[in-house]
Amino acid sequence: MAEYRAVDESKDRPRIAFGVTTQYSGGQVVVALRGEVDMLSAPTFASVLDSLFETSRRDIVVDAAELDFMDASGLRVIGPMSARLRNAGGSLTIRSPSRLVRRLLDITAMGDLIERDPPDPKSPALGGEQRTGDASTAVIDGSLETDTEDGVRLPAFPVGNDVIDAALRLVTALARATIGGADGVSVSLTRHGKLTTVAASDETIAQMDRDQYATGEGPCLSAAAEGHWFHAESLADESRWPQFVSRAIKDGIASVLATPLMVSARPVGSLNIYSNTDHAFGPRDQELAALFASQASSILAEARTDMTTDEVAGRLREALTTRQVIAHAEGVIMGREGISADAAYANLRQTAKRTGVDVRESAAALLTSVLSDNLIGQARG
Amino acid sequence: MSEPNSILEGARIEVGLTHSELWFRYFALGGMSTALEVEAYLYDALTPTDHDRDLVATALNERFSELGGDHPVAYTDDEDLDNTNL
Repeated sequence: MAEYRAVDESKDRPRIAFGVTTQYSGGQVVVALRGEVDMLSAPTFASVLDSLFETSRRDIVVDAAELDFMDASGLRVIGPMSARLRNAGGSLTIRSPSRLVRRLLDITAMGDLIERDPPDPKSPALGGEQRTGDASTAVIDGSLETDTEDGVRLPAFPVGNDVIDAALRLVTALARATIGGADGVSVSLTRHGKLTTVAASDETIAQMDRDQYATGEGPCLSAAAEGHWFHAESLADESRWPQFVSRAIKDGIASVLATPLMVSARPVGSLNIYSNTDHAFGPRDQELAALFASQASSILAEARTDMTTDEVAGRLREALTTRQVIAHAEGVIMGREGISADAAYANLRQTAKRTGVDVRESAAALLTSVLSDNLIGQARG
Repeated sequence: MSEPNSILEGARIEVGLTHSELWFRYFALGGMSTALEVEAYLYDALTPTDHDRDLVATALNERFSELGGDHPVAYTDDEDLDNTNL
């Protein structure tokens, strides 16, 4: 009992308010933060970055592994410094942020500053080290890679139309990042009468797709052929697709959710989500999968050949960021006013109209104020 | 070949957005309908929910604002709001 109490008390140990150390390695400066960046410590943080910028103008890595918390004042340091470095030919990346900091960066559209390949990755999900996109994932084609907000670098696969494929790879990465149980995601498309993998989050997943094409059976093939979704909740208990299932189990896959892609009411392929846990996908995940499949379908139907890869991917990325900002703001209003999502949107739109800004700006302003209030409150609490 | 009797389709043509561009804007605002469905709303081939209609209206109105205009497409709840302006 005494030991127990001692453990409890250890939670009350004083927290380090703020600490910063700098270290040079390779061509980079690593600025390691400890404790909290808030209104009090942000000026110190800013002056450290300023002096590094003035003296070296090298790439700056902000190591956030030991950062307990950061509020909007930290973002106001990071955003402008990132822009200054970029203009000077350098870069600012954020290493190992906590969930809270990552979320802050994502909400404020600075998620792409998060380092993609931290030196010591500790995420042994499906596909192991390949998942984080080291050079070996690009072996299949090696021509093109797509970076995503999630930090997942997707390998390129044999392509037909670059524009469409790049956009689909982005959808794949976003689906993987968004759907809770997803350990891997791919998109299969019918090309020249054959189903082909256009985007896959790693080599294991690409192999899962190939196993289905080779055995001529599997949930993705069924979804793409029949135009409705197929959910194998637990491959261990699955009686359909016996040849594919035995291969999949060998590779550690436990459940699969395949959602068809429809263009002009005809199935043209499927969005395939794999998990190494059984019963990984609930009704909410199925809804999300349907949304992402619908996005992918819209891209297929809408993508214009006169648009470049960057334009399509850029627009999609921007659209998704805006969506996220608006959805978060709606959530805040719903909680505060006790109203439905649609009513919250109307509220946001009316505020935007009244203040003469667009809905996204109105949503971002609301979030910024709420976030700094909450986080400052949290820091003092 | 529907006539542009739909206010939304008329507005889309006026602000010079393609169907694809309008869908991207609608989607960014949180819309859940596919591009094909949004196109059907414009041609009155499908009836959107009030919320979806307002999202399309917002997308069009924000484009109007970018071009220096005011909000020409009414929202479903505008009557309550704008009576005071008259």
